Amino acid sequence: MLVSVPMTLFDDLLAKRLVILSGKGGVGKSLMGAALATAACGRGKKVLLVEIDAPMEAARYLGKPPVGGRVTEVEPGLFTINLHPQAVMDEYVRHVVKIDLFARRILQSPIYHRFFAAAPGLKELMVLGKVMVLEEERIGFSRRPRYDLVVVDAPATGHGLQFLKVPLAASKAVPVGPVGANARRILALLRDPKRTALCLVAIPEEMAVVEASELYHMASDEVGITSSALLLNGCQERQLDEAEEAEVLRLSAAGAGGPLGGGIRLEAALTAARRHIRRRKLTRFYEARLKRTLPLPIVRLPYLFREEIGPAQVALLAERLSAA
Amino acid sequence: MARRSRDPAEALAAELASRRVLVVCGSGGVGKTTTAAALGLRAALMGRRVLVCTIDPSRRLATSLGLTQLSGKPRALDLRRFAPAKGGAFYAMMLDTKSTFDALVERYAPDDAARKRILGNRFYREISAALAGSHEYMAMEKLLDLSTDDRFDLVVLDTPPTRHALDFLEAPDRLMSFLDTSILRFFLRPYFLAGRLTIRVATQAGAIALKLVDRFLGLDFLRDLSEFFLAFEAMYDGFKERAARVHALLRHEDSAFLLVASPAPAVLGEALYFHRRLADKGMPLVGVIVNRVHPDPAARAARDLRSKPVSVEPELAAHLIRIVRDQQALARAEARSVARLEVDTGERPLLVPEFEADIHDLRDLRAVGEAIFGGLAEAGRSRRVSS
Repeated sequence: MLVSVPMTLFDDLLAKRLVILSGKGGVGKSLMGAALATAACGRGKKVLLVEIDAPMEAARYLGKPPVGGRVTEVEPGLFTINLHPQAVMDEYVRHVVKIDLFARRILQSPIYHRFFAAAPGLKELMVLGKVMVLEEERIGFSRRPRYDLVVVDAPATGHGLQFLKVPLAASKAVPVGPVGANARRILALLRDPKRTALCLVAIPEEMAVVEASELYHMASDEVGITSSALLLNGCQERQLDEAEEAEVLRLSAAGAGGPLGGGIRLEAALTAARRHIRRRKLTRFYEARLKRTLPLPIVRLPYLFREEIGPAQVALLAERLSAA
Repeated sequence: MARRSRDPAEALAAELASRRVLVVCGSGGVGKTTTAAALGLRAALMGRRVLVCTIDPSRRLATSLGLTQLSGKPRALDLRRFAPAKGGAFYAMMLDTKSTFDALVERYAPDDAARKRILGNRFYREISAALAGSHEYMAMEKLLDLSTDDRFDLVVLDTPPTRHALDFLEAPDRLMSFLDTSILRFFLRPYFLAGRLTIRVATQAGAIALKLVDRFLGLDFLRDLSEFFLAFEAMYDGFKERAARVHALLRHEDSAFLLVASPAPAVLGEALYFHRRLADKGMPLVGVIVNRVHPDPAARAARDLRSKPVSVEPELAAHLIRIVRDQQALARAEARSVARLEVDTGERPLLVPEFEADIHDLRDLRAVGEAIFGGLAEAGRSRRVSS
């Protein structure tokens, strides 16, 4: 290599074509997607954030209305789309069946809908196929990709793992024909560490951490995808130094109280501080466990003390990711 | 409703004492599995014979119960050290989708040859467990089975982590539609019977669709698929009859639904939607539990009168005030969310505070039960609910 400057984790992610975020439900994947896309955009990349049947789109974190199934530029250079599997499938049928009348007949047929609703893996395969098509989009007749980076917010684990397993299963179950060939192309893209990065998302809690580990091993053993990083969301960062923490515990034990200032009583502040200390220690505990068990770089992202998360919070997380 | 004015903890305790089936639902990551297990244990300690059944493929209930592995069969847990009320017993099991599916095939296959044909079919073997909705269908199937098992007075059913909380109710119907013989007639049978593509397809759309499938999926796949459908044809009526009984069971007066949520806005949106759909379907919702509520630290300590006035270094005081303000901001935002949930559903939710550690054994699980019923006032000291 000619470059002697070591690549940071974030540079490494920026050099990919596809970043897939996966993890247990409720760990903030959608927010991580928005932050990662914002961070990449901040480095001058044209980014497409792909969500899959998201009930609440990441666009809301950027203060924008939902975009639905059409690629929309929500910020200069930042595009989002919320793929609805049924719509993707319909589009595929229209693409394959060139004659409009026939296509419409199929799309109106209840058989088609029943088949699509229950056929195993078909939704996942269609969605991944669409992701591949988006990744392959070029500007005009040039070879320049339309998007420098495609970020995919994958369905939660359980379903998330199925999502990644489908191309392999499909390529085995359907040995011939275009569906099988497409499944193999998708699989090749997912398995190519030069083009694709799988980022696990977790929070410092038992179940989320367990699922991240399971996902890491299953993705690697069963599908042949090696994860690139773990984004540890919701980390409580130290707000008191060691001496202060010791003082909090001493005051608590002594039953200290009285007015503290700002209309707050010391009793309340000590309760809050003890809670903070416990959460901070748990954060460190789970981080250490992840470090021990997974050979992955870990990016810590801070806990946000608000339920309404907007562009300012996304910018803060994006900044952390950029520095990773 | 009269229930609305009652204390939600009291109301839930009454449900635990009287129902025979409790379906615990909610979106992923809200502590649904732990809640189901904790409520089951609570009911067992009250003297009922309880089975908790989880469908979750990531084996969360197993972790909550301190078991490394749950078998597909109910397994009794030792409650002696908790001194349960007389008659109380606690069983846990994890649904094994594949073996439940196999058992159904065993039960409804008309003869040995048909049974072998299905169990040996490549399509069935590879994907019966992955068939969209089969987790959900099998959960319902198992529920039906368990509800007639006289070892249990109460079955608590944890539901699969579907993207939308209600998917699991609709998935069985989707699976039944998929297996429906009319698909076969319209779509696959002509192919299978003739052994090749034929134009004798009932509708033009069906013919086009068939050609498409053939072109894009290949002949082998199509053959496996059509064999699968043909083999299922004989069993379809049996399946359908079971499905009808499941529908009846869920609407029975002894069955009830419990919704688990968290104060996160996305989760609350789902909870509201779910509430509406349950009402549409005529299924009784008997309670809403909101887990992981962050209490306002100032609200509680203000009542503590035993403390000694102490002055604190200004720098530490400033840091402490910031910590309190952070937690208060979160508590206020959550209180707004919960208020919205209460107004929109007309249900008074039971609020369970965020705990501080994870669930490792039955003792922890009992503590969760205490927190659920103790509400915000007492709990929050020991442990945190995890999903």
